[in-house]
Amino acid sequence: MEDFECGPISCLTESGQYILKDVVLKFQAPRLVVINGPSGCGKSTLLRAVAGLNRAKTAKRRLDSRLYSEKELPEWRAHVTLLLQDAPCLDGSLLDNISFAFGFKNGSDRTFSQDRALQIINKVRLDHIPLDAHVNRLSGGERHRLGIVRGLVWAPPVLMADEPLSGLEPELADSCFDILKEYSRQQEAIVICVLHEERFALRADEWLRLEHGTLHRVNTI
Amino acid sequence: MAHYIELTPFDLFLAIGLIVIAASISAALKLGLTRSLSLAATRCMLQLGAMGFILKKIFQINTPVLVLAWLLVMLIFAAREAVRRSKTKYRGINLDALATMTVSSLVAGGLVTQMVINVQPWYDPQYLIPIFGMVFGNSLNGICLCLDRLTEYVRSRGNEIELMLTFGATRAEAIRDGARQAVRTGMIPIINNMTVAGIVSLPGMMTGQIVAGASPIQAVAYQIVIMFMIAAANALGSMSIAALAGRRLVTDFGLKLPPMEKT
Repeated sequence: MEDFECGPISCLTESGQYILKDVVLKFQAPRLVVINGPSGCGKSTLLRAVAGLNRAKTAKRRLDSRLYSEKELPEWRAHVTLLLQDAPCLDGSLLDNISFAFGFKNGSDRTFSQDRALQIINKVRLDHIPLDAHVNRLSGGERHRLGIVRGLVWAPPVLMADEPLSGLEPELADSCFDILKEYSRQQEAIVICVLHEERFALRADEWLRLEHGTLHRVNTI
Repeated sequence: MAHYIELTPFDLFLAIGLIVIAASISAALKLGLTRSLSLAATRCMLQLGAMGFILKKIFQINTPVLVLAWLLVMLIFAAREAVRRSKTKYRGINLDALATMTVSSLVAGGLVTQMVINVQPWYDPQYLIPIFGMVFGNSLNGICLCLDRLTEYVRSRGNEIELMLTFGATRAEAIRDGARQAVRTGMIPIINNMTVAGIVSLPGMMTGQIVAGASPIQAVAYQIVIMFMIAAANALGSMSIAALAGRRLVTDFGLKLPPMEKT
């Protein structure tokens, strides 16, 4: 059971307007959260702030009983991992792209399991591409699915994803969403996704809407 | 001291004829270089002339303070030039370049003058000034190349660096590949120079010593020492500038890219 808390987060534009104003994210595992909101409302800024990848002011980062300081951001990111928008890839093979993090200092306590990786690759239907193929063969949608594989193989207690299903056909997007939900259940993890489509928000454990710099819970009943 | 033919002002006047040849070619072919060529030639004459007088004075007065002060001036100019030549500039680049130049040249030049050649007295300007001049000039090049390669890497592969950071990489882990490539780039020119030395090119210092009447064997010995010194200075310089610049470009909060210099 993981208990996650991040915030209050505040972020200003250069002209002094709030993009995020005292936003707090606090969840208990297992949980699948979907965040949406009008475009440009700061959804990506929010996820990047949680990951510590921008200069937003973030008062507190806590996982279970452990608080993480700014100096411990790399370690935090190993546990609270963000799948970036547009699913960037390393210049290398599929295998490089799903296993690289296990070679980092902060990945030394985890072991890469190729079997598990292959299982997930099957689930997201990337199994037609050999593991040693170079990623520049992949289409946009395939890169996004590779991103999901990378995240699930890494298996962090908190997985954030910035539009992980873009470029996927509806049916495939649905099954990938199910895979993310199943991950939160099986691993007792927290999954936080920024997704536009309401149909996903309706199927989440929690639906949050970001507007004018603040988060609101949307009642789904 | 072995003998050599002294040049008179008249000889220099004759040499101007050579520049006139270059300028007339430019004029005949309408290269549009006549003006910049003459300007460059004039600057070259004035700068070297001034340098000659300054060096003559320093050699006459011959005190450690003055020699060190002059080395400091050269160091600052070299660091400034390294910054001026690199395509991107970030906050703190001046300090990084100066620190790097200081460490790399001090180690390489210091070892050569004080331990290999064993200059007596230790500050003898006849050795220190030309030798440190060569270290400065060459590490400047290495630093520039290394810096450009590193910023280019961060610019073109920034999303890969971010990807590594999101999965828990430390800054050092995220920039490691880029820094390695940058240091390589900084060291390639001196490796090339050493490879062709003596076959394709007779290095300037060796040529100078031979003209001044030194035995070719001694000239070669000096040249070898100098080349190894430059290699060490380049390796040290590239490594430290990559480390320093890497820290500024990849921070705890992700990438921090400087704006592209307008050309």
